[in-house]
Amino acid sequence: LEISTSFFFFFPSQTITGNFANVIHGLNANHLTDQVIQRSKRMILDTLGVGLLGTSTEVCHKVTQYSKIYSSDISSTIWGHLDFRLPPLYAAFVNGVAVHSMDFDDTWHPATHPSGAVLPAVIALSEAFPQKKKISGLDLLLAFNVGIEVQGRLLRFSSEARNIPKRFHPPTVVGTMGSAAACAKLLALNQLKCKNALAIAASYAGAPLANAATQTKPLHVGNAAKHGLEAACLASQGLQGNKQILDMESGIGAFYTDYNPQALPTLQSYPWLLDQQDVAIKRFPAHLGTHWVADAASSVRRKLVESSDNFLPLDKIEKVILKVPEVKYVNRPRPTSEHEARHSFQFVACSALLDGSMSVQSFTSENIHRPPLQELLGKTQLEHPPDNTPSFESLYCEVSVTLRDGNPISHRCDTFYGHWRKPLKKEDLEKKFQSNASSVLPAEATEGILETVYNLEKVDDCSVLSTFLSGQSDRPLSEKLRFL
Amino acid sequence: LWAQMTVTSSFASFIHAVRPEHLSKTVRQRSKRMILDSIGVGLVGSTTHVFDIALQYCRLYSSVAVSSVYGKPGVKLSPTLAAFTNGVATHSMDFDDTWHPATHPSGAVLPALLAASQMLPPTTKPNGMDFLLAFNVGLEVQGRLMHFSTEAHDIPKRFHPPSVVGTMGSAAATAKLLSLSTAQCGHALGIAASLAGAPMANAATQAKPLHIGNATRLGFEAALLAARGMEANPLILDDIPGCSGFSAFYSVYQPKPLSTPSDHHEFLLEKQDIAFKRFPAHLGMHWVVDAALSVRNLFINYAGSFSPSLIRTIVLKIPVSKYINRPFPSSEHQARHSFQFNACTALLDGEVGLSSFTESSIHRQEVRELLDKVVVEHPEDNVANFDKMYGEVALLLHSGDVLTGKCDTFYGHWRKPLSKESLLKKFRSNASHVLPEEKIEAIITMVDNLENLSDSSQLACSL
Repeated sequence: LEISTSFFFFFPSQTITGNFANVIHGLNANHLTDQVIQRSKRMILDTLGVGLLGTSTEVCHKVTQYSKIYSSDISSTIWGHLDFRLPPLYAAFVNGVAVHSMDFDDTWHPATHPSGAVLPAVIALSEAFPQKKKISGLDLLLAFNVGIEVQGRLLRFSSEARNIPKRFHPPTVVGTMGSAAACAKLLALNQLKCKNALAIAASYAGAPLANAATQTKPLHVGNAAKHGLEAACLASQGLQGNKQILDMESGIGAFYTDYNPQALPTLQSYPWLLDQQDVAIKRFPAHLGTHWVADAASSVRRKLVESSDNFLPLDKIEKVILKVPEVKYVNRPRPTSEHEARHSFQFVACSALLDGSMSVQSFTSENIHRPPLQELLGKTQLEHPPDNTPSFESLYCEVSVTLRDGNPISHRCDTFYGHWRKPLKKEDLEKKFQSNASSVLPAEATEGILETVYNLEKVDDCSVLSTFLSGQSDRPLSEKLRFL
Repeated sequence: LWAQMTVTSSFASFIHAVRPEHLSKTVRQRSKRMILDSIGVGLVGSTTHVFDIALQYCRLYSSVAVSSVYGKPGVKLSPTLAAFTNGVATHSMDFDDTWHPATHPSGAVLPALLAASQMLPPTTKPNGMDFLLAFNVGLEVQGRLMHFSTEAHDIPKRFHPPSVVGTMGSAAATAKLLSLSTAQCGHALGIAASLAGAPMANAATQAKPLHIGNATRLGFEAALLAARGMEANPLILDDIPGCSGFSAFYSVYQPKPLSTPSDHHEFLLEKQDIAFKRFPAHLGMHWVVDAALSVRNLFINYAGSFSPSLIRTIVLKIPVSKYINRPFPSSEHQARHSFQFNACTALLDGEVGLSSFTESSIHRQEVRELLDKVVVEHPEDNVANFDKMYGEVALLLHSGDVLTGKCDTFYGHWRKPLSKESLLKKFRSNASHVLPEEKIEAIITMVDNLENLSDSSQLACSL
């Protein structure tokens, strides 16, 4: 105790968050007064009584039934693992976390990470149906697309959504809803239950942006998948919510300052958003905004290296200027963790200048802390031209390196390779997949997934996908890959 | 011929009716690329540290279910799911406590602590005092957070407070019970913020109880993840320009530090008591019911008995709050959130209790007839705030006479707290629906002597 008081003496200014943590940690029983004890015991007693009574309600019966699933044998695959399985809810969570763990997953416009919130949920769910019920690849594909479509439509209800977010992290808002919609579809819920799935999901939606660039961010996508699935399951069991959840300002509108919901088009030749607007696929695991920076920096490096006998004149670099949009959570001059590095214009620019290109390896601890990089970071500044709007549809990046002899070498990137305007070629997409998958799966399983997904709409029983995902690759299984 | 569909129904119709043949070639192709990429990304992601933490946490669910469920002696669930279930039970009838600024504090904290106490190994079981302290930490954090925004002083409009501060309170309380380090306590709050926040629109529906269930469960999860090393933004409660933390849930946000506890820390509960409900409905109903009961007495004195036919109009003077202004509620959940329904039930029956909200009670002809006569007014001085509001019921008779009842402070409000006898009566009445008398009395005794209990998990076991 003596030590802590002197600590506060020397460091009087403290963050509020740190202060809360200190208080939570430092309070002890001696701090409680008689009155507080008395009042809180009354509260505990009352709460217990209220809870006991509440067990006889319909809503409580439903959640008890739902929760009892966890005592059963139903389980789903954990991608990359043959050694154990988890209940579907937690399989969706864990696999969703995996998908967003490195910020390597797809991005759409308006901004969100659509697939990670939906795919883990529908795959986990597909394994949870009773034995007789077979889910085809087409069923899975349809449900997946329903999940994507719903997200895109919801994003169009607010003009705020067009720009890179500031308040709520979009996957946690629309991703949860998309997951609920996709699972409702796969469960073939009736209209009323679909409505309730959306309503219940809304009560799980919404995480603040401040956890981006921390270890918690991947949980945003994991939770979106998990909670959307839960909402659909609860709806399936008859739980009801507000049937106007998308209409009301106090519904999904709560997450936006301007909210204008619109009805979807009729089903006759339905115009899917994915038809009009593709996603961006990342080439390295970092925030999408850094991809413009990387391409520009790589081009600048090529120019620099050409004009100085094929090596990078690190000592001669005086300053590096990045012209980027104003996006506070990606503006990090000296990131110290992998999560921060993935959300740093400066870090990616300097890495790309040093190495020529970005990769999974760029974000290891050794690479983050290497002296040449730290030195270059020290020379790097950001500028925010007014015409550089913070939207993935319109932003650009210009990297400008000034050498000691005075000549600036620069390059501007308007559209990086992998953006929806310049999509990855099939070979490059496959290469990314192979590289990723082979880090945990044997070659046959990797091949099996490729084949299955390419022919997904013809696959009779999509459980073969899960089998490959767990790493199984016995030949008899390949025979299971029957096509319609 | 079809009436205009709501946006929500159009979504439901779409989800229900869309078929494989609606998929175009381009869509199929693009979405398959997305799926492929997503799987690959997930597979490499399974080699990361964050993945390991998430995984370790989830593997808890393969272990034996150890935590009790209210009223079900033979049933045990995994700890966070037991907390969820019990939290839902707690708020299922809107019968649980309410504080000022407005939230339902206990339901968000207690179930998590009960479940956690059963989770810990025998050698480290918290005693009754530890338990009581952790509970109060959970309340205190909720109260303090609500003081960060003037918005919080009024009846909510956007996010349901238990889902915002309740989640944080549960994280804090569980972190306390589990004796997490200072850094871990901070991360528990940070992780919890990403699990907080449900919109108001689900109030007055069956989904509302999930708000408390999830608050207590997800705050608990946040603490468990922090205990395993998960890290979040260490500035989650601070003002971060351009990138919202906890401030995301408010439009006005002025965070303030807590004083560090040296010898003396004044808990908010010291100065600001709680309101306990006497019947299972939204707190606002309690004012109009007491007002209705008083005017009912006047009316009976006037007319000899309660004669609805003599009443021309029933005027309710209430604050403005959309989600509790329902002229004709059609479900139990709506009825619990209807000034009109509660006033009319009190007038008709002379009391409001559990049975007032059954399907048959809600749809009684006599109630509907009274509801037809109701007119609502919003006097400017009737502020939508649980510390300041009042309820007034006026009966305008056909004869021209006017009888009025007004309630400023209902019995059970923090200004007029329930007596010990009334509180015990409520508890015994509630508990007797699922527990035998001996167990009921045992719980009463255990809670009364909580600070002397050597193993607080006994409380959870006795449910």
